Amino acid sequence: MYKDKKSGILGIFVTVVILIILVLLTNTENNNLTAFENAASRLATPIQNGLTYLKNKVNGNNSFFTDINNLQTENEELKKKNSELEQELRKLETIKTENQSLKEYLSLTEKYADYKTLPADVINRDISNYSKTIVINVGTKNEVKEGMTVVGDKGLVGYIISATDNTAKVQTIVDTASSVSSLMSTSRDPIVCKGTLDGSSTLKAMYIPTEAQIIQGDSIETSGIGGIYPKGIHIGNVQRVVNTNNSIDRYAIIETAVNFQKLESVLVVTNH
Amino acid sequence: MKKIIINIFILITFLIIYFLQLNFFSWFKIAGAMPNLFVILVFYIGLFSGRSMGLTYGILFGIVLDLLVGENVGMTAIMLGITGIIGGVLDKNFSKDSRITILIMVVGSTIIYEVGMYVLRYAILHSSIELISFCKILLAEVVFNVFITIILYPLIQKTGHSIENEYKGSKILTRYF
Repeated sequence: MYKDKKSGILGIFVTVVILIILVLLTNTENNNLTAFENAASRLATPIQNGLTYLKNKVNGNNSFFTDINNLQTENEELKKKNSELEQELRKLETIKTENQSLKEYLSLTEKYADYKTLPADVINRDISNYSKTIVINVGTKNEVKEGMTVVGDKGLVGYIISATDNTAKVQTIVDTASSVSSLMSTSRDPIVCKGTLDGSSTLKAMYIPTEAQIIQGDSIETSGIGGIYPKGIHIGNVQRVVNTNNSIDRYAIIETAVNFQKLESVLVVTNH
Repeated sequence: MKKIIINIFILITFLIIYFLQLNFFSWFKIAGAMPNLFVILVFYIGLFSGRSMGLTYGILFGIVLDLLVGENVGMTAIMLGITGIIGGVLDKNFSKDSRITILIMVVGSTIIYEVGMYVLRYAILHSSIELISFCKILLAEVVFNVFITIILYPLIQKTGHSIENEYKGSKILTRYF
């Protein structure tokens, strides 16, 4: 128990503040200076605004009380109009989001026209820091089975590891337990893409043939070997090549085409 | 009667933690890592109500988590079960009235849990080994868990004592020293 209740509460408060600061600091981009500048300007702007307002008030003192009645009626009218517009806006917002998701589905289905696909939404993400599985809202009732490939708007997402009636678990390609047999699209050299712990959208390309030429920015696609993923699905692009002393264990970092942090809708390939 | 209330309390806490982990902590992160409140909960059950309760709840919660979001059934169950047992074992060795000992125990159990999970993931799922990245994430997670334990400490103390009274009664040795 805390010996002194007041200091206990103070301690908790301080911890909460430190925690929030830590989260904010570690999540901001690397340009720390601009962050500080922003904070400073954020502090200063209201004061500046207040001072300007006061100055204007003092200057325009004469006309302040003259047309107060007019202003009241105008104010009421404007308020009414404002609420109408807000309602309108809300309607449009709903239509916009609907439109967006429909468009997303459409472009997805056009892209993978050869395959029979089923649209689904991501409803859960993994709660562990080390594995990167997602849960989608289709299941065995929609004829989704284990081992089916899941693709996103720009490329490969992963495959289904288990399915219940209404949901299915997908092991993403960025999971550390996942490895995808793939090809470099220009040189057609085979490589294996494995998930890594650093970064949510990077893969490590391993087992690169010693004579193979790796080109930065080259696109990587699935090779179809292994039987899980169909051939020719885009995975991502080569970000950089890491050369080691021994050319056998050199590797490349691949940036996935799909942004796994913002992944919302996917397609399940049902006829592979 | 009181035991039933305690068990319902534990289950509700589990649900709250589950939704917190899924929603709130998916963006409230330190250096990209979220805390693991399940370890704290299971450890706390083991510490205040004994080894068997810790083990039972650890395995129960682990299986539920494995079924809901895990990659295969069993890994989380095993490691949470072990965490519960550790809580039960440490019960007799350390004073629970000190914030520092509780913090150290939480740090220890979080590290044991995550390292165990990593080894299991490597052995069962053949995940790749990246020790430096793993250590970075583990450090952030431990720091996060410590902060949360400090914030929740009064709650842990109060509820812990009532659970201890109910489950152990006169057997509580540490009270007499």
